[in-house]
Amino acid sequence: MRKTGFVLVYVLLAVVQMLICNYFNLSPYLMLSILPVMVLCLPLRVPTFWALIIAFVTGLSVDLLSEGVLGLNVLALVPVAFVRKEVIRLIFGGELFARKEDFSLRKNGFGKVTLSIFLVQALFLLIYIWADGAGTRSFQFNAIRFGVSLLTGIVVSLLVVDILAPDTRK
Amino acid sequence: MAKERTFLPRIINAAIFILMEVAALQMLSRNADLQQIWIARAAHGVMGTVWGSTQAVANYFNLRRINEDLARENFELREELDSYRTLAHAQRADSMGVARGQIRGFDYIPAEVIKISRNKQHNYIILNKGYEDGIQEKSGIITRSGVVGIVDAVSAHYSYAFSFQNSDISISGRLGDEGATGLLVWDGVKSNGAVLQEVPLQYKYAVGDTVYTSGHSLMFPPDIPLGIAGEARVINGATNEIRVDLFQDFTAIRYVTVVHNTAFEEVEDFNL
Repeated sequence: MRKTGFVLVYVLLAVVQMLICNYFNLSPYLMLSILPVMVLCLPLRVPTFWALIIAFVTGLSVDLLSEGVLGLNVLALVPVAFVRKEVIRLIFGGELFARKEDFSLRKNGFGKVTLSIFLVQALFLLIYIWADGAGTRSFQFNAIRFGVSLLTGIVVSLLVVDILAPDTRK
Repeated sequence: MAKERTFLPRIINAAIFILMEVAALQMLSRNADLQQIWIARAAHGVMGTVWGSTQAVANYFNLRRINEDLARENFELREELDSYRTLAHAQRADSMGVARGQIRGFDYIPAEVIKISRNKQHNYIILNKGYEDGIQEKSGIITRSGVVGIVDAVSAHYSYAFSFQNSDISISGRLGDEGATGLLVWDGVKSNGAVLQEVPLQYKYAVGDTVYTSGHSLMFPPDIPLGIAGEARVINGATNEIRVDLFQDFTAIRYVTVVHNTAFEEVEDFNL
């Protein structure tokens, strides 16, 4: 995907996340977020420094423009940007970095992509749910919320991967 | 070189990551009451742990000074106690028609043990005070747990003393408040073991009675608790020898008090 195209899609997905936060309140046990996978799908040529900045700005925008608590998405999303390259290296190997290629569902397989989404989504949700509860929610509530949100988030994130990291091979 | 190239960006990224997380926490605490309380509680917990640990370390390094303060306070209390004892003796002497000049007192000087031997039959102690500090030969050495030894020689800044754990040392001990007296000597075996010798057979006592200094030795004030009386055995059909478990732990002596009888030389003149 070309650079301007990626930026446009990324911004549109951020707007979608704001709409989810404002209108998609089905249950207190469900916290649907596509922000982790958006950060994961940032092109590999983007250095960690810029990934951190992008994650910070994205999280802050969602916090400001949705009904959330200011700082909550930032707190949970910045660590995803910090470990992004390590997760990709762990799941997909160092060849992607050597070939300067981005990952995709068709090229790297459903299993590996799902596993990488699982890791970043889990990290994001752990911090988000922990900070959102602020020590007032029971462990059982947090655990159910984490499980439900993780499963739903992985399914929705797979769609986002297909949009943000399409297979470029012809 | 390649390592240096990758190391610096990692440090910078980590620093930026930490800054951003701190900023996020700051935003959270400013914009949500619940999170503000939560963050404040966590911060106080961390601060409490950190400051508690550093205070514990500081306390550990202050222990020496605290011990010295306690030793000084202990010495002052002994002096005060001695003055009360002298007063009580004077009142008793008055009631018995004894002249005041016969009442004697003790000088107390705090000191620190810098060397002590424990595994010989003739053990010794070296103290960090000498004649410039007022220490004199033939002074007693005591702690709050009992008698430790007798000063044998003094230099300007140090004193050499015979430990009570020395087969040549004996001190006068008394059973209970007003019981029989005898010679207390180290048993030569146990660190806290002693025997009270030459106790007349006609004097009765109970196992568990406290043994005190009698005050007959000139070197030690009376009524210092020394240990607990145990079983007795008859020696040559004439006297009892009573086993005594000492209060003093000779493996952990550091701060002591040197006591000197102010009338020692005067009384010793009679032993010509």
